[in-house]
Amino acid sequence: MGSESAKAPKIKLSLPLEYQQDLFTELRAEDGLVVLARGLGSLRIVTNLLHSYDVAGNNLIVIVGADERENAWIGEALAEHAAISRSPLARGLTQVNTDFSNVSARDKAYGQGGIFSITSRILIVDLLSKLLNPELITGLIVLHAEKVVATSTEAFIVRCYRQNNKTGFLKAFSDNPESLASGFNPLAATLRNLFLRKPSLWPRYHATVAKSLEGQKKAEVIEFDVPMTSNMRDIQNAILECVEVSISELRRSGTGIELDDWTIESALHRNFDVIIRRQLDPVWHRTNFKTRQIVSDLVVLRSMLNALLTYDAVSFHKYMEIILASHQPPPGSSRQNQSPWLYLDAANIIFDTTKRRVYTGKPQVSTNGNQIEPSLHPVLEEQPKWALLTEVLDEIERDAYLNPTIRDDSNGTILIMCSSNSVCKQVREYLQTKDVKAATGPDVDSTGDDKEGPSAAYMMRRKLRDYLMWKKNFSKANMALINENKKALEGFTDQATAAAIYKSRAPPNKRRRVRGGSAVAANDRNGTDPPIPLSTDKSANVTQLMDNIQITAEEAQQKEEIVVDELIDMEDFFELYQMEDLLVVHPFDGDMDDQILEEVRPRYIIMYEADAAFIRRIEVYRSSHNDRNIRIYFMYYGTSVEEQRYLSVVRKEKDAFTKLIKERGSMSLTITHEADLLDPQEQFLRTVNTRIAGGGRLTATAKPPLIVVDVREFSSSLPSLLHGRSIRIIPAMLTVADYVLSPTICIERKSVTDLIQSFRNGRLFNQAETMLQHYKSPMLLIEFDQNKSFTLDKFADSTSTATISSTSQDIQSKIVMLTIAFPRLKIIWSSSPYQTAEIFEELKKNQDEPDPLRAVEIGLEAGNNPGEQSFNQTPQDMLRAVPGITSKNLSRITLEIKDMQELSNLPQQQLDELVGKQIGGQIHKFFNKNVIEDED
Amino acid sequence: AIVRPSGPNAILVSPRQKGNPVLTNIKSVPWEYSDTPADYVLGATTCAMFLSLKYHRLHPEYIYSRIKQITGKFNLRVLLAMVDIDNHEDPLRELAKTSLVNNFTLILAWSAKEAARYLEAYKALEHAAPTAIRGQQAATYAERMTEFVTVPRGINKTDAMALVSAFGSIRAAVNARKEEVATVQGWGEIKVKRWYDSVREPFRVEG
Repeated sequence: MGSESAKAPKIKLSLPLEYQQDLFTELRAEDGLVVLARGLGSLRIVTNLLHSYDVAGNNLIVIVGADERENAWIGEALAEHAAISRSPLARGLTQVNTDFSNVSARDKAYGQGGIFSITSRILIVDLLSKLLNPELITGLIVLHAEKVVATSTEAFIVRCYRQNNKTGFLKAFSDNPESLASGFNPLAATLRNLFLRKPSLWPRYHATVAKSLEGQKKAEVIEFDVPMTSNMRDIQNAILECVEVSISELRRSGTGIELDDWTIESALHRNFDVIIRRQLDPVWHRTNFKTRQIVSDLVVLRSMLNALLTYDAVSFHKYMEIILASHQPPPGSSRQNQSPWLYLDAANIIFDTTKRRVYTGKPQVSTNGNQIEPSLHPVLEEQPKWALLTEVLDEIERDAYLNPTIRDDSNGTILIMCSSNSVCKQVREYLQTKDVKAATGPDVDSTGDDKEGPSAAYMMRRKLRDYLMWKKNFSKANMALINENKKALEGFTDQATAAAIYKSRAPPNKRRRVRGGSAVAANDRNGTDPPIPLSTDKSANVTQLMDNIQITAEEAQQKEEIVVDELIDMEDFFELYQMEDLLVVHPFDGDMDDQILEEVRPRYIIMYEADAAFIRRIEVYRSSHNDRNIRIYFMYYGTSVEEQRYLSVVRKEKDAFTKLIKERGSMSLTITHEADLLDPQEQFLRTVNTRIAGGGRLTATAKPPLIVVDVREFSSSLPSLLHGRSIRIIPAMLTVADYVLSPTICIERKSVTDLIQSFRNGRLFNQAETMLQHYKSPMLLIEFDQNKSFTLDKFADSTSTATISSTSQDIQSKIVMLTIAFPRLKIIWSSSPYQTAEIFEELKKNQDEPDPLRAVEIGLEAGNNPGEQSFNQTPQDMLRAVPGITSKNLSRITLEIKDMQELSNLPQQQLDELVGKQIGGQIHKFFNKNVIEDED
Repeated sequence: AIVRPSGPNAILVSPRQKGNPVLTNIKSVPWEYSDTPADYVLGATTCAMFLSLKYHRLHPEYIYSRIKQITGKFNLRVLLAMVDIDNHEDPLRELAKTSLVNNFTLILAWSAKEAARYLEAYKALEHAAPTAIRGQQAATYAERMTEFVTVPRGINKTDAMALVSAFGSIRAAVNARKEEVATVQGWGEIKVKRWYDSVREPFRVEG
């Protein structure tokens, strides 16, 4: 196998299929944007291509936009290739990410050359600071080309590269035609951003691809449409109803979202919440609380739809209880701030049915009027796919027994593919325990076939036991959290009474009505009311239920389930076991699946869940190896989210390719953007000082204008746009401000969401303070998004008029406070990053250029290394949420303590030394408070 | 102008502003006409000039002549600009530059109501301490815990609740291994990774 390239060193490639070879030769010959259907192995093309360059040695190739797993895969594949073709010059992959932050080490690594995969933010900084000289780069490989939009960092990188280097190669890849095809003339726009001319489209129905994959032997595919149980169907319908109501509620709130084409089918689609969020995005900062609440409800509802199919009945019930608990209103709040879907009958059905899948009881009305359930007994509904899985495995066994003769290159291994690790775990557990005979207690119940044959009873009983244990703790935790709320609300004096009420259990009529009297509220089985019913007045029943599922002798023989994922030790398994009798359960993992197929070489594949891309991978695998037979079982729940999702993914990809091909057909091919790119003439004119009027001699200033930009700002689009306006960008680690325009002007940039956020946590106040200390004219830039509306005004609805009187909470009042506190702080309002770039240019006129060294030193405490002053944002924000943390002790903690984990484990005494006794106590209590054991 | 007993709590309005719809929207704070070089006097050291961008487009020199009149007197000089035109980019760029040169603070409003809201707020908050913007923390453990856990992207309230009730304390959750966190309901691989990485990411970027 392998097509030999013309060059001298020997290259061994692993591209057995015709379309792969075509693509490879095409890419070696010229630059282009390759769009390959998912599952056709774009990474394999990339690695082979990289290898062909790697073998030659003496080059510097940069990969842009690869994520962590892709890096791992590329690195491994390159090493493997190098070993196979025994090329001494190949150097493999070097990763440059945040861990590789030492500048001198980076400098040295770049000097040695090789293949680098660099995080975009670091790469652009290095290119601008010439640490990595763009002229020395042999070529650029851009992955995920669909993400390269005009304002993205990746586009900035490509521009930077192309300006300084006209000869190096540039090849871009995408396996996501859907997002590439959105918008107007998307292909042309992406090509322009990438400075590329030639698109190369490879859908599954491309002639060569089809020929390669449908050639000689096809894989045997057996498809199963598994019906959901009626309970599952009821729950799914109820959830969909909730979704529908939530959406009509959104419509009513007058946010102007367009959902005319809304159908239940689109609700089943993977991303309906994302779509709505995107529609609302332009006006997000003006939406009211209710709208946001509904949007977050949609996220929760979608995760419920998904969990219904993937979780087992007990875990799903558990999940639903957590959702219910976390949606409990704080005491004293009105129905207004509740999630609307919780009031629906459908919600009641969801919670009720969910519970009924786990256990039931006949409710009776006892003497004192309390509803009690005299005999609970477990139901433990099994997922329909489990039984089918057992059947399929039996069939495979029979098949292997009856036709043992076929000797080919594949192992007898059975590969089971699932959507996620947690499903893998569930399937693994099921397979391990399905033959353990479960208890034959007094209640032979709807687990059904407990005569003989495998069932999940044992596993489910164990899960139910775990659940009941958990439930006790959870109720406690829940109570601890809610109790506290209550305390805070009622104030110090009422505390004793409140506690008393809780201790003596609230009488039934005193229970808070949680969800406005809906039927859900009456169903206190859900354990949401603070007087936790399960652990108190129903404890007898629970004990009974517990007895019902007591561990039997057979069960006791089984070893306890281990939490740790054995997949980590996968390599060990390969050494220990014969591949023949191995059964591998693995999650779908994008391009990594190709590797699994190659390594496991399965005879049978069971797709426990549907995945369009994986089917293609099997096709590719099957066609690449003529001597391997394979049979595929493919199962999905009929008329479920799963089925719809699968179908819509396939359809969308096809539509996207059709659109792209159409656009390519009508695209003018003479895109000559490279020619006008930074014409030297124009560059000269820009630097001409036009202030000398009256035909005086034109004098060109020595250099183009200059702005010092904080390195953290490179994740935004502004540096790229400034650069596009021929301003020289100096990346630096700034302690004070984000942009330094002149020795006196510095600017802190805030998007509207940032602004709200940093008003809330007080960061902006501190930033303004330090800027004023060091600069004469500090400015706050409030930058609106390009596509968002340019206003802070709320929607003119009834609720906003009500809240407008409550001062100091809305953003306007906060701006007022800020300007009163800092009269010298100026505010710039910009409707988009484009506008900001123009404003910066305007502000810089007639100003001196900033001194980058000075800008870096400003704000540093004496003797501090600039590097030590820069912080990671997320842990910093988390730290700010810890009680007792102020801006003063914050910097002390970040200097003394490494990370959050270390802080959480500090003993009280050490904390006291660090921040003082009082605050130390607060911090210690925050981390160590145990919501399960604490009584208060 | 109508003479009324002036109180220290009233906004002083220049008679020039008569007929400005902003005035009818000032409701929560008293105001009165008074002879002042600025359009509005909002406090001992604070004044505001009002500018409609529509007017500015027709009379670009107007605002500069007005600014000249109020030199030196006020510590905080607000230019309250009302965005009532669509092509606001050019005037706003110009005003940004001018605010730097002439030392005033630019505030934008998009309606007369919002402009009035700003004026009211300046008066009402004249003596208020800036506590509301110095960062306040949630009062209860539950809120604080939620705030803490939900900092990494994509983790929501439900997840926070599930996490802490599964591990008992925040400390245990922080120290938990990936596999342990993954067993919590609702915690998919991405969330687990974000959480795990966030609590182990160093506070400082190593030099």
